[in-house]
Amino acid sequence: MAFFKPKYKLFPLVNVIAAVAIIIFGLVMAKHVECSYFLIALFVWLCIFGCARSCVRMLAAFIIVGGIFAGITYAASGSAMSALAMANRFGAVFSGMAVASACESVSTVRALSQVHTPRSITLGMLITTSFMPLLKTEIRRVREAMKTRGAGGMLNPKIFYRAFLVPLVMRLVNISDTLSLSVETRGFALGKVKYSVYKPERVAITDILFLIGLIIGMVLTVIL
Amino acid sequence: MDEQKNNDLAAEQLIQNAQHAQEETAAEATTAVRTDAVEQTEADGKIFKKYKIKDIVFLAIITACTLVTSAFMPLLVNVPCYGIIQMGLGLQFSLFPVIGMMKVRKPGALLFQSAFMGIFLVFMFPPMAFIVVCGLIAELLTLLIFRGYKSDWACVFAGTLYMPMTLPFMYLYYNVMYTVDGTEKAAVSMYIGGNASAGVIAGIVIAVIAICFVGSLLGMVISRELRKAGVLKN
Repeated sequence: MAFFKPKYKLFPLVNVIAAVAIIIFGLVMAKHVECSYFLIALFVWLCIFGCARSCVRMLAAFIIVGGIFAGITYAASGSAMSALAMANRFGAVFSGMAVASACESVSTVRALSQVHTPRSITLGMLITTSFMPLLKTEIRRVREAMKTRGAGGMLNPKIFYRAFLVPLVMRLVNISDTLSLSVETRGFALGKVKYSVYKPERVAITDILFLIGLIIGMVLTVIL
Repeated sequence: MDEQKNNDLAAEQLIQNAQHAQEETAAEATTAVRTDAVEQTEADGKIFKKYKIKDIVFLAIITACTLVTSAFMPLLVNVPCYGIIQMGLGLQFSLFPVIGMMKVRKPGALLFQSAFMGIFLVFMFPPMAFIVVCGLIAELLTLLIFRGYKSDWACVFAGTLYMPMTLPFMYLYYNVMYTVDGTEKAAVSMYIGGNASAGVIAGIVIAVIAICFVGSLLGMVISRELRKAGVLKN
């Protein structure tokens, strides 16, 4: 019955496949006006299927970045069509990113484990995604330490190397040692060790509906 | 007197037992040390080594670092200039992978980093997912020439080759997919198309290789410094 149960989050692998398909399709079709209509319809479609929050976040980024680049293109080429193509390209990239960021990395890793993806890949992927916000904090701390020590600006290569790069890498090595111990104590192991996936991810009818809608949209964009 | 003799005998036997046990333990320890040393030598002799959790964790962290410092890539990909991505990201994509390879000196270190990167790059710019193939080629060439990552220069070699190898894939992408309105081939015709000279292409390739070489050297210098400080252990 879980297949027919309505849910607000898509199956993580559906998110990944859809994101890649949207980016590739958008980049290929960017030069056509129909691509803009497709992207608008896609925005609505994504909002219906539980990606509204990430879509709104990406929309803000798209308006700023896409607007700037489309403006530059228009100023350089004088062609509205070129500017639209540039905006479409950014629209496709940001839409793909919205779909990809709509699912949690833990869910994606769980789904990948279900399809027997090597442990080293899923573990690495999980660490990479979860480490990114932490890295920003570390960079901020190193910069604060630089200010405290009275080290000058980052633009000086010597200062950048000695006071920023070396401490940052040192910190990364230390974090990696602690994290690997922590990962091992939590029961993660490489090789042919059996493991269980608690709370497995399941494909639901909403996932299939989402994919069908996406494919229909792409076909209509090409035909019309 | 007999009791005294018995006590002395017992004490003597106890001492002998203890000495014997001590000798046995020492012999076992020596054998264990020798076995470890032999295993270590055998492992050192092998080209392919088994990965541990700590290796994967370090490679994942260093990949996160590469990706965070390359966060502006989605902006670069839309600039109609051939090689702009490689020139913009060459430094980060050589510096951090070299640090990763110098810490985890095992074949596959670059491939693992490429795989972790490829998973994220595919959402930023799908053609850059070919970086996995570039990682594989760079890895194979390094194994063929240096037979592993024992030498620091092997890491520099792999790091320098890694990013410039994406240039042919970008050439394919620009030729097949990237056009502004379909009537002209923007990026390619500007630099590589009919009007462009071979000198421009060579210039771009040399510039990318130079940036990557500088990044790799920097990575090697940092790693050596950290190793000297005792922070970076294999």
